[in-house]
Amino acid sequence: MSVTLRVILIIASLLALFYVLRKIRQSKMNIVDSIFWIVLVAVFILLAVFPQIAYFFANLAGIQTPINFILLFIIAMLFIKVFLMTIRISQQDEKIKKLAQRIAIDEYEERKDKTDDEEQ
Amino acid sequence: MKLLVFIPAYNEELNIVKTVQNLQKHCPEYDYVVINDGSTDGTEQVLKENGFNYISLPFNLGLDGVFQTGNLYAYTHGYDLCVPFDGDGQHNAEYLPLLVKKIEEGYDIAIGSRFLTKKKHRSLRMAGSSLISFCFRLVTRVRFTDPTSGMRMVTRKIMKHIAYDQNSGAEPDSWAYFVLNGAKLAEIQVEMNEREQGTSYFTLPRSIFFMLRMCISILFIQFFRKGGDF
Repeated sequence: MSVTLRVILIIASLLALFYVLRKIRQSKMNIVDSIFWIVLVAVFILLAVFPQIAYFFANLAGIQTPINFILLFIIAMLFIKVFLMTIRISQQDEKIKKLAQRIAIDEYEERKDKTDDEEQ
Repeated sequence: MKLLVFIPAYNEELNIVKTVQNLQKHCPEYDYVVINDGSTDGTEQVLKENGFNYISLPFNLGLDGVFQTGNLYAYTHGYDLCVPFDGDGQHNAEYLPLLVKKIEEGYDIAIGSRFLTKKKHRSLRMAGSSLISFCFRLVTRVRFTDPTSGMRMVTRKIMKHIAYDQNSGAEPDSWAYFVLNGAKLAEIQVEMNEREQGTSYFTLPRSIFFMLRMCISILFIQFFRKGGDF
């Protein structure tokens, strides 16, 4: 791993961290959701400071260069994140549907009660 | 001071009547409301039949969401104080006046702690609890012996944050945020009962992730949040 690459990795990580913390400060991100990014940033910095870790895992997986291991790792992380987000979007769709149904039924019952009162 | 006791209930059809009656018997002077957290059993039916005060959420929001709901209701309905009271009978009503007394001494947050004067028993869960206490003390210099206690009474200014701030809720990192911003936190020693029915929300992987999240949040993220008016 070249020094340039390691420096780029660290700078990019710090920028990402700064952006995440700014979003928390602006109350635009939940702390729960920020944990994934903060841990990921920490791992990238760790890999940049101690490239031996990347060499070790590249050897273990039979990958020729450590940079390929890092790319593989990033792709894997993205896959996991996209998968988790798909689950979350499904759940959110379901919740929005339930909310709409609940509001519609409540509104109908309120209207029905009102007309019943007027008839009496 | 006007206190609202809110009772989170998720699938508590077997316990809820006993819990509410117990509360009404011991503390008839306090207002209460049950918050039905999208139960899939007959909880709502039981609440309706008994004529209890209740709010019914359209689906399950979990501990944090229910806690925020209770605080939002209390805040918008002019209560000075609010406190959750466990729906499956873990909390004892006799401690509520003691918590109110603590608030009257000038504190903003009063917590019913199981471990203020009593030692924690040795288990994985208690190790996690101690770890959070340690992080909390490191950051705020305030002793918080039972960070996962559900019995926490708050005043209006704290209530407002819990109701409207998306990152303030029932979890220990929120309390670190409040204390860091000048809120005064006190604990009293309480006894809690074992769960009679139902299962705990916390499984082992969930607990481990929870601990990790709390440590990162208390030790790191809290310093970057915008300050509040406490």
